[in-house]
Amino acid sequence: MEPRIPFLEVSDAIILSGAENLYWCMQCGLCTGTCPYRLVTGEASEEFNVRKVQRMGQLGLEGFESENCLFACTTCRACVDVCPRGVDIIGNIRGMRRMLAEVGSIPPSLKPIAGSLHAQGNPWSGPRDKRTEWIKDAPVPTFSADTEYFLFVCCTSCFDVRSQRIARSVAKALQAAGVSFGIIGNEESCCGEAIRKVGDEELFSKLAQSNIELFNGKGVKKIIVTSPHCLFTFKNEYPEFGGEYEVCHYTEILSQAVKDGKISFSGDAVGALAMHDPCYLGRHSGLYDPPRELMSALPGAEVKELSRNRNKSVCCQGGGGRVWMETRAGERFAELRINEALDAGAKTLVTACPYCITMLEDSCNVLGKGDQLAVKDLSEVVAEHL
Amino acid sequence: MGDNRKILVVGGGISGLTAAVEAAEAGAEVVVVERKPYLGGRVSQFNHYFPKLCPPACGLEINFRRIKNNPAISYHTLATVESISGGPGNYEVNVTIQPRFVNDNCTGCGECAKVCSTEIPNPHDYGMGNVKAAYLPHPMAFPFKYVIDPSIVGTDEGKACADACAYGAVDLAMQPATLTFSVGAIVWATGWAPYDATKVDYLGLGKYPDVVTSVMFERLAAADGPTGGKILRPSDGKEAKSVAFVQCAGSRDENHLPYCSGVCCLASLKQATYVREQYPDSKAYIYYIDVRAMGKYEDFYTKVDQDENVTLIKSKIARVSQAPSGGLLLEGEDIVNGGKVKQVVDLVVLAVGMVPGTAAVKPELPMEYDDFGFVVSSGASGIVPAGCVKAPMEVAASVQDATAAALKALQCAMGR
Amino acid sequence: MDQKIGVYICSGCGIGDSIDVESLSSVAKDEFKIAKLETHAALCSDDGVGLIRKDLAAGDVNCVAIAACSGRVKTDVFNFDPMTVITERINIREHVAWCQPVGEEDTRMMAEDYIRMGITRIEKTHLPNPYSESIDKSILVVGGGSSGLQAALDAADAGYSVTLVEKEDQLGGYMAKWKSTVPTSPPYQQLDEITIQQTIDKVVNHEKITVLTGTTITKVAGAPGMFDVTFSKGDPKRVGSIVLAAGWKPYDPEKLQHLSYGTYPDVITNVQFEEMAKAGKITCPSDGSEPSVVAFIQCAGSRDADHLPYCSAICCRVSLKQAVYVKEQNEENKVFIFYKDIRTPEQSEEFYKKVQKDGTVFVKTDTSKVTIGEGSERKLCIEAMDQLLGEPVMVEADLVVLATGMQPATLDDPILNLEYRQGPAVPELKYGFPDSHYVCFPYETRRTGIYAAGCVRQPMGASRASQDGTGAALKAIQCVELTSQGKAVHPRSGDLSYPELFLQRCTQCKRCTEECPFGMYNEDVKGTPLPHPTRCRRCSICMGSCPERIISFANYSVDMIGSMIKSINVPDEYDEKPRIVALICENDAFPAVDMAGLHRLSYAPWVRFIPVRCLGSLNLIWIADSLSKGIDGILLLGCRYGDDYQCHFMQGSELANTRLSKVAETLDRLMLESDRVRLEQLAITDFGRIPKIIDEFTERLAELGPNPYKGF
Repeated sequence: MEPRIPFLEVSDAIILSGAENLYWCMQCGLCTGTCPYRLVTGEASEEFNVRKVQRMGQLGLEGFESENCLFACTTCRACVDVCPRGVDIIGNIRGMRRMLAEVGSIPPSLKPIAGSLHAQGNPWSGPRDKRTEWIKDAPVPTFSADTEYFLFVCCTSCFDVRSQRIARSVAKALQAAGVSFGIIGNEESCCGEAIRKVGDEELFSKLAQSNIELFNGKGVKKIIVTSPHCLFTFKNEYPEFGGEYEVCHYTEILSQAVKDGKISFSGDAVGALAMHDPCYLGRHSGLYDPPRELMSALPGAEVKELSRNRNKSVCCQGGGGRVWMETRAGERFAELRINEALDAGAKTLVTACPYCITMLEDSCNVLGKGDQLAVKDLSEVVAEHL
Repeated sequence: MGDNRKILVVGGGISGLTAAVEAAEAGAEVVVVERKPYLGGRVSQFNHYFPKLCPPACGLEINFRRIKNNPAISYHTLATVESISGGPGNYEVNVTIQPRFVNDNCTGCGECAKVCSTEIPNPHDYGMGNVKAAYLPHPMAFPFKYVIDPSIVGTDEGKACADACAYGAVDLAMQPATLTFSVGAIVWATGWAPYDATKVDYLGLGKYPDVVTSVMFERLAAADGPTGGKILRPSDGKEAKSVAFVQCAGSRDENHLPYCSGVCCLASLKQATYVREQYPDSKAYIYYIDVRAMGKYEDFYTKVDQDENVTLIKSKIARVSQAPSGGLLLEGEDIVNGGKVKQVVDLVVLAVGMVPGTAAVKPELPMEYDDFGFVVSSGASGIVPAGCVKAPMEVAASVQDATAAALKALQCAMGR
Repeated sequence: MDQKIGVYICSGCGIGDSIDVESLSSVAKDEFKIAKLETHAALCSDDGVGLIRKDLAAGDVNCVAIAACSGRVKTDVFNFDPMTVITERINIREHVAWCQPVGEEDTRMMAEDYIRMGITRIEKTHLPNPYSESIDKSILVVGGGSSGLQAALDAADAGYSVTLVEKEDQLGGYMAKWKSTVPTSPPYQQLDEITIQQTIDKVVNHEKITVLTGTTITKVAGAPGMFDVTFSKGDPKRVGSIVLAAGWKPYDPEKLQHLSYGTYPDVITNVQFEEMAKAGKITCPSDGSEPSVVAFIQCAGSRDADHLPYCSAICCRVSLKQAVYVKEQNEENKVFIFYKDIRTPEQSEEFYKKVQKDGTVFVKTDTSKVTIGEGSERKLCIEAMDQLLGEPVMVEADLVVLATGMQPATLDDPILNLEYRQGPAVPELKYGFPDSHYVCFPYETRRTGIYAAGCVRQPMGASRASQDGTGAALKAIQCVELTSQGKAVHPRSGDLSYPELFLQRCTQCKRCTEECPFGMYNEDVKGTPLPHPTRCRRCSICMGSCPERIISFANYSVDMIGSMIKSINVPDEYDEKPRIVALICENDAFPAVDMAGLHRLSYAPWVRFIPVRCLGSLNLIWIADSLSKGIDGILLLGCRYGDDYQCHFMQGSELANTRLSKVAETLDRLMLESDRVRLEQLAITDFGRIPKIIDEFTERLAELGPNPYKGF
């Protein structure tokens, strides 16, 4: 074997790109063992070894750049949670991706996404002026100086027809709970969470700055989000750009409303349902109880748990930009979750993230289990029982 | 300076015992207080020591004989320090003695146990297996005296035990007592506890009965243990012929114990020999980050590694689960061989780390601690920490440290 | 002493149910001259012990035979002044009542024999007559490094006069040559300053310490309490005990040609690197330039079967420390550490973490297979298989540091130059380290009164070495204190007996001088042993070795055990009651037999256990005594021997085995099957094996038939 020659200048550059903990790693391999790719088969499962990717980063070597290796990471945080050295592995992945992004070496499937974000402020190639189309049949208030909360709807739920149901359900539930909220409108841009994870730091800061300018201009203090990804970014990444807000996921607002008696549910029994904890709601934000409290408050709810739940939840594979990349059927994480839901005896698999909905529903259909299991956002189930 | 030529040793494990006998044989008067009903501490629960694979009872026997022969040493079991006042050369220590419900008349004949039918989880075996509520803590226990578990005091059974004793040794009316000692120096040797590895939840302890800790495994291999020394799976009693040892089960981990517990690599190598010696057709797998066999212990590592049925794999095990075919499945990355670990075994042993006795309970002493609870400074010349309260140590290092502690205590207590 | 023997028989704990106590009384009364006999239902009760104390106080008895439980228990109760009272514990509980069928004739006969042997033992015991010479309590510390300085200081602080000898002109050892040491206090990330000068100042200014620098030891004669030490200069001195803290030396880098040492000037050792760092600036020896990339090669000659098979314990931490120096010189500098395993035990894991965070690149590889050659861009080029990458890597560096290991200073220099028949050096355990073989007793060397400390004992870091000096100082103090009272040190600490030789009958065979594990005997020109009783650990191996049987102790002798054997009642062959004498190690086998009793394991009733100090004290005459008495078999239970021996006296059980192999021939010649003598290795926890061992031996003896000498 021809020896590889380490280039520590490259490692230094990776570190400067955000992989600040690159050398903290002692190469124990717990990350690789913990990674959900070990639960499936396929190319990415074979190629993507998060420990080894970081090893290559430490040595400044090439060879990890493919869609099925470095870009396989869904940033699900399962490895970070257990890492014995407390390494910000996602940060390391992000730093390495950024090195590539800066020279335009991101996977081809991500290029149109970046393009759309540049041009339209959303990753779904939706025209910016159609961002609020989802309110067409059910108007929601516009945020003004005396509105308490700004409701930020994830781009996915603004443009994806299926996902628009989530936006409408959240809005309906918030109205039922008497929450003072409003949207801003078409000037809103994507929160930028995913594109930052993909490595396009420049684009992310552009999106963030534009949003912060907009939000601050409107006097936003408190934000309700429909997606845990937006939650994460607003909460953890916007402050460094000057955006300081009190940010809540809608499940937090609604579960509090239930406790306060401001909202009540009626209608048919919901039956057996189980929660798929989204990575960004759970591991990234520590919110495990609000959705469960909300579920338990629904009429006739029979709450089940998936075998891997809460902080042991398995990713839907939609994070880290993977929602825009193709994973072959039979190799998808979401398939595991559908089967777990069926094993748990659930009739409805609920979650609280637009990416999760996309990934889970797709797998449910591919597996042909659509007749046995419904995949719904928790907001939808709530809205059905108002 | 008053009546202070005495040394109080807190903790009757290997460090405390050593400090006591070494100081006494150099001329000091020593009192040992021990929380458990017997002296010897954790090593009395071990089957063998590394690297000689010799039984701890052998060295303990010698030390007990040194105590028996030396009128300068006294000891109290079931004793905990309640309060300490004074300063170097002149400490006053209050010690609470919990009732044993058996007095010095006990001959160790065992008639009380014969009439006792209540059983309690055997503390000596970490609750694997039961023992009568009137029991000898273990066969080599020193002092060689029975204990009546408080649960049968005040019951008919307790009374039956008392009636069965021909020597008036069972005293169910025994109350906690307080003793006060005036001493010149205090050796603090309260030892260590195994880390609660249920917190390393992906390793399955507490979820699967066939995942045990390294300290439990010592009992499974010990002739006086719950299985009579046969290495059997707790779930079904099947012979455990394939055993996985998972290193750093909590140690070297910022989520658990950030430090290295120092002894676990050697302990697992040793335990692999238990398996190999017992079943010729057995296999042992040791999953490690780094093999830490310091100094001449390297020889022991080399020796065990030469057994082709002992495999060492550089891997931090990420998951232990029930294998569909029975047994337990271990998964992780096999780093050096560039592959995956997917190993099904009969029994999983977690090499749990050492938590200092001073992590949970901090005495009223001016000692200073690091973030992990280890004593880093005694704060006063009359206070001498010894053994695993200072750092994780193997037995030889503990004894070395305790011998040094004996001199430090002696300097203060003897006013030299 | 005019013996007045009182025999006290307990019938408690099932003894009375199992054995007819009256028959035991008859044996004592009828067969022996005794002053007093009492039986009691609970001899250990206040009432029972009161009987004995009353008789002692009245002067009716001065020897006490207590036939009851094992002598390992109730020691606090049956506790009479050892200077005036001979006490013998006859174990008829664990060794008879608890392991034999109740009420059987054979059970009774067994107990009767124990009574006979116990009283016989008393008859052959003398009160102790401690060896007392004028004892010097001063302490010699050899070596002025971390451990020696600490040993000297701590012994002096405890009030003892100390002489500290250092061969160099300066105190401080290697420590004084270092720039800093690895972190020892929280948060375990900052290098520690070298504080050895403070210790040196304390030592130099201590009124109890005499420092001899630039001095070596030309001779150590004598024994604990009376070592006469001659130095390369100055007056000789008498000292009581010695701490050997002679330190270590680095492994010879000339042997590391496979790592290009000697080929390239910029391949240096960690010691050279440290000295350079201490001097001020790290530079490449070839051209004096400052290196910007430094590579450390761990285990350079360590953990390597071709060099030092052991791990030197501290080199990982030293390289981490030196990596910090490299970064301190210029934070842009790069460091590679090639390692087999990173060994940062205990809290030093935090230091490893810190150095990782500094950006050091760690490469896991078999460092003995690393190749170092000339570089193209930098001075040197290192090729190694990166096991973490799964591919070879090639790294260029300006300077390569070989992390070489430690060897004991005693490797090729005896240092103490002991005037001992067995040689001038403290015997090594392995690899030249005069370390203890015992897990539980790390200060046991084979030279009483001489305690090794620090890196001469085993590889260790500076802070542990200094602790080790304190521990060794305690042992040195203990030795002079016990010796001054005529007492033995560990493991028979407190034993007041010592070997007495009837030299008129000595044949100068030298077995005692050769076999004593502790080198107690010197020899005169003719080969006559010159005992040095304060070197003695009272194992009695010499007693076993002596063919003329001229060595004995006040309370232990060839005659004593022989007489005990002869006191056994051996039925004639028609009774079909064979007899087995089992000589058992009192440290391990005896407690194991107790445990068998505690577990109520039963075995053939033919066996009679006789505890011996060590199986090494086995004198072959005992075999002859047994066989001529008509005993059918002799069983020896001793500790495991071989590399991992467990004998407390090093080779006792092994020596016994060697002696047996010699006697086997003789037996075969006398038409006495050598199978009649069997040695088994038994650990203290092996109680479960005892019935099997005895029963199998019984079966073999049955095959051989009765001892033909029976009835002679």
